[in-house]
Amino acid sequence: MVTEKIKSLLVEKLECDASKITSETVLTDLGIDSLDITELVMDLETEFNVEIELADDIKTVSDLAGAIEVKMKG
Amino acid sequence: MIKSTICERLGIRFPVFQGGMAWIADGKLAAAVSNAGGLGLISAMNAGPDYLREQIAVARSLTDKTFGVNIMLQSPFAGQVADVVAEESVKVVTTGAGMPTDYMERWKAAGVMIIPVVASVAMAKKMEKLGADAVIAEGEESGGHIGELTTMVLVPQVCDAVGIPVIAAGGIADGRGFAAALMLGACGIQMGTRFLVAKECGVHQNYKDMVLKAGDISTVATGRRFAASTCRCLKNVFSREFKQVEFQPETTVETVNELGVGALRKAAVEGDTKAGCFMAGQIAGLVSREQTADEIIQEVVEQAETLLLEACAWVG
Repeated sequence: MVTEKIKSLLVEKLECDASKITSETVLTDLGIDSLDITELVMDLETEFNVEIELADDIKTVSDLAGAIEVKMKG
Repeated sequence: MIKSTICERLGIRFPVFQGGMAWIADGKLAAAVSNAGGLGLISAMNAGPDYLREQIAVARSLTDKTFGVNIMLQSPFAGQVADVVAEESVKVVTTGAGMPTDYMERWKAAGVMIIPVVASVAMAKKMEKLGADAVIAEGEESGGHIGELTTMVLVPQVCDAVGIPVIAAGGIADGRGFAAALMLGACGIQMGTRFLVAKECGVHQNYKDMVLKAGDISTVATGRRFAASTCRCLKNVFSREFKQVEFQPETTVETVNELGVGALRKAAVEGDTKAGCFMAGQIAGLVSREQTADEIIQEVVEQAETLLLEACAWVG
């Protein structure tokens, strides 16, 4: 569910094909900058009512989904 | 009522210019802004002398107030449209993307007021030396062709460096920006993005919609690698692809210019949200309503007046 939400936010932002974004997609490879990522994270935090820290080890879509899911359980 | 020396010099009611925007600022928009008391500007863009004459005629049919022409100096027709400005006795000319050194004499001879857009102190000083009547100090917050400095740092330094009037541009879309510009030393402002969504602006609705839904981080400066080609536009598929190509080692200034050819037209005329280049300023995030040029000017001026009158509350 979280992964799907991340994908749909990215597809909307980038106006690209949903098939271009997979769990393994590296966020910075999508041509978005750090400000875009901050905005994305804020949208996700609001959506899932959590707060996450953007650590250096969050590189892919699944890393980001994982960071959110961990907080949701917490 | 905001009093400014530039108003008397140009015969306009409010010291508010509407920026020359290619494919966007035509005779109709310029006339609407001038009728509303500001200075409307027709963009000569990359078009030839006939287009400009047409737009001047359109403006003259719609207004008897002062309006001007903006010349994009990288246009292959710059020299020809510079002549049209003189021949048609246009009252004011502004210039962008370069320095109008070659045209100063003919304009001065024709009695045209010359107000170049400058992106640095050195440019401003040079323009004053060559006889410019005023300068527009435009920060990189602005849409379209931009320099490196922000409005916040450029305006006061240009004001310190020259004795001619300075108009501030870049990142201004409401009374707060207007009041702030006056505090930085400017005697007036130029706005582009805010006028892009004017009802009298004939740009494609998709372009307006993109500006209206933009947020604070919605723009990007492309072409930084080759300074003279740096342009600010809204982030989209085009801008992202552009940035990926831009920094590849084999990319040259020619490749980059090729990529851009026709992209603004795709945005402004065809509304192609993916392949178009939607030039707009960083202040697009603050622009949220389509209004008439008159409503825009009234709102910006009234808000600035209120802020300026209340400003002394800051001092005990």
